[in-house]
Amino acid sequence: MNKLLINAVLISALFFTAAPAKAAVNIFACEPEWGSLATEIGGDAVSVYVASTGRQDPHQVQARPSLIARARSADLVFCTGAELEVGWMPVVLRQAANGKIQPGSPGYLEAASVVSMKEIPQHLDRAEGDVHAAGNPHIQTDPRNFLPVVDALAARLAEIDPTHASIYKARHDAFVAKWRAAIRKWETEAAPLKGMQIAVQHKNWIYLLDWLGLRDVVALEPKPGVPPSSGYLSEVLAKVKASPVKMTIRAAYEDERPSQWLKQNAGVPAVELPFTVGGNDKAKDLFGLFDETIDHLMKGVRP
Amino acid sequence: MNMENFDLTILLPALLAGLLVLATHVPLGRQVLTRGIVFIDLALAQVAGLGIILMDTLGFEPHGWRAQAAACAAALVGALLLTWTQKRWAEVQEALVGTLFAAAACAGLLLLAHNPHGGEHLQDLLGGQILWTSPYDLIPVAILYAAVLAIWFGFRQRLGDLGFYLLFAVTVTASVQLVGIYLVFASLIVPALAVRRMREALQLPMGYAIGALGYAVGLLFSAMFDLPTGPVIVCALVAMMALTWMAERGKG
Repeated sequence: MNKLLINAVLISALFFTAAPAKAAVNIFACEPEWGSLATEIGGDAVSVYVASTGRQDPHQVQARPSLIARARSADLVFCTGAELEVGWMPVVLRQAANGKIQPGSPGYLEAASVVSMKEIPQHLDRAEGDVHAAGNPHIQTDPRNFLPVVDALAARLAEIDPTHASIYKARHDAFVAKWRAAIRKWETEAAPLKGMQIAVQHKNWIYLLDWLGLRDVVALEPKPGVPPSSGYLSEVLAKVKASPVKMTIRAAYEDERPSQWLKQNAGVPAVELPFTVGGNDKAKDLFGLFDETIDHLMKGVRP
Repeated sequence: MNMENFDLTILLPALLAGLLVLATHVPLGRQVLTRGIVFIDLALAQVAGLGIILMDTLGFEPHGWRAQAAACAAALVGALLLTWTQKRWAEVQEALVGTLFAAAACAGLLLLAHNPHGGEHLQDLLGGQILWTSPYDLIPVAILYAAVLAIWFGFRQRLGDLGFYLLFAVTVTASVQLVGIYLVFASLIVPALAVRRMREALQLPMGYAIGALGYAVGLLFSAMFDLPTGPVIVCALVAMMALTWMAERGKG
């Protein structure tokens, strides 16, 4: 009993003392890609907390105490927006009651607000499926989308923390140069994918498809959370027969069974892509994310 | 990990929500256990969810009081159905409760096949998250539960099957939205199981104590290790039950 007690005290002491050193700007990033981008630009001048992991559906985040605690001490909330976090972020903001990070203030940045959004519905028809009024929120699958976002982030950081403005500017410029070069490299590597027909497990790849010129013939799960009907699945098989696809792609956090089903029934290779930073072991930062994405796509074509 | 997670303004509303849920669920849970219908909470919550999906499918926007009314009305219909089956086929009531759960869940899925937004409503209803509770959310539930407790302790002898099922339906419809389906199940069944073999006079107070301790320990662990709060509390409640049993065995 005594030993247990001592252990408990030691463990708690460890937690209390392991608090991060006070950095100038506390950033609360909703998704790992924005956490990585914030680290690229902020360096040591910022302390970044990431609310979800790369293997988690960003629509659904479980309530943990640190979500509220970190939002309370945050100077900048950096999220995708476009209703991606609508299930949990409004509650976190309400519970945090932190005036600095409420929507509309300098401490609240939505990446989707500076990216040109796709699939914005012409008119809101509730029968159309997983409709996001602001367009498809999965913008991080196209590296070109990071360019306007990183501009907005650097400007916002300079506004919140003017003393480090020159650092943010320098790191921003260095990142943009490196990123543009990386995009050219990825585009060269992925050139053979242009015009290729593929299947997607769920319609969250529109930006990647557009970037690489891939064409999705069919989606296996038209509505998330609702099993497809047998009629729909035979329609999928018919479509795949009529216009053959090279592979089915799915995000790391998604169930592999639908794409495995198409592999068994139509011999279409199933390819898992990281989807965001941390989606697999090699996608450790933004560069790794797209290295891995291109690598897996190319392996899908030439196994 | 740091001190920030131990902020009382984060943990206290969650603890209050838990105590509020326990206040009604511990006494009702003992009754549920006696009747041998432990899945009744899942079944009625699922039926309440079906009510919201149905309303959405019929073209009404289920928000605010209208969603509550739809959920409550559906749960009450479910309660009436269960009262009737209790009278007709009492010997298979547990199986019928389970069947109602599966049937309501699948009927919901079928309606959702043509109603993409229903899934979100169902998620809102069944997936309540205790940490998201604000003291403001607790006031209407506190008033409702005060009435439930007054009826339960005042007129329990005269309630009969119908009264029990109706009271239960209203109670669970409120609690699933506050803390989610797993915590509702655990708050109902685990304290009742833990005190099952104690003296009659001890059962209710010990049930409350074990439940409250489970919530407190769960919240503390959730803050210490930054784990999702609902699941940690469920595990803590089960651990409290196991410790109670071990202590009982040790004594006698």
